[in-house]
Amino acid sequence: MSTTVNALPPDAETVSIGGFILFAGPFWRLAPDGEIRRFAFVVAEKHMNGSGNLHGGVLMTFSDVAMSQTARAANGARPCNTVSLNCDFIGPGRLGDVVEARVRVTRQTRTMIFLSADIVVGERVLGVATGLWKLA
Amino acid sequence: MTPVPPPGFTSTHLIDPFELHVGPIFEQGVKGARRFAFIVDARHINMRGILHGGMLMTFADAALGQAAWDACDHARCVTLTMQSQFIAPAKVGDLVEVAPVLTRRTRSLMFLRGDFTVVGEPIYTVSSVWKLLGLD
Repeated sequence: MSTTVNALPPDAETVSIGGFILFAGPFWRLAPDGEIRRFAFVVAEKHMNGSGNLHGGVLMTFSDVAMSQTARAANGARPCNTVSLNCDFIGPGRLGDVVEARVRVTRQTRTMIFLSADIVVGERVLGVATGLWKLA
Repeated sequence: MTPVPPPGFTSTHLIDPFELHVGPIFEQGVKGARRFAFIVDARHINMRGILHGGMLMTFADAALGQAAWDACDHARCVTLTMQSQFIAPAKVGDLVEVAPVLTRRTRSLMFLRGDFTVVGEPIYTVSSVWKLLGLD
């Protein structure tokens, strides 16, 4: 059983204002779901691999963008750097999918922030990412 | 705009649309012992002017994927998991290089890692597991 969502919600705001996240995106911020920060993008032709699935590099880039945005938001917009990012590839993404990142702050210290994210399309899980960010 | 391969390198034949989008990628050496590289350009940087982690993870997936492909004689394989550590920044014009290492191959899995450098200095390191499709 798969669920496909075909459109971004109308209140989606872009986070791809320039640089690689615009070139590889665009990526969008959605309304949060309680403590969970939500982001999304729509899988386009440029995001695919040769097998007709979403390229792993896009999934990791999207995870990095969503988790970095969350890390910044949790720290009053102070810049922060990705120190580590681990990503498990659980299921394929398809052309036209609206892929959503659901990001949680696991722990925050004075200089570090631990995050995890589920990368989903409706009920389908594409990936799970965890990572560590350092405040600049 | 197609960057010229650095001395001693040729362009890697890419198939995946997302790799063609962010590439070119360059290589030197023979099958099973290839070294890969790309030149950081304006498409690859973040709003602070440094190489975006998403581009590094995409390059890692591409380069280690090429090495995995060498190791399994071009059988179909997919990334199962990738662990990334971001050690130092890179900037426009830098040549990022990696010589992927096949740590172990089993019947259905391949373990690959890579240390990524700019002018010999480590900037990024990755370990990953790949699955050969159709084998349990």
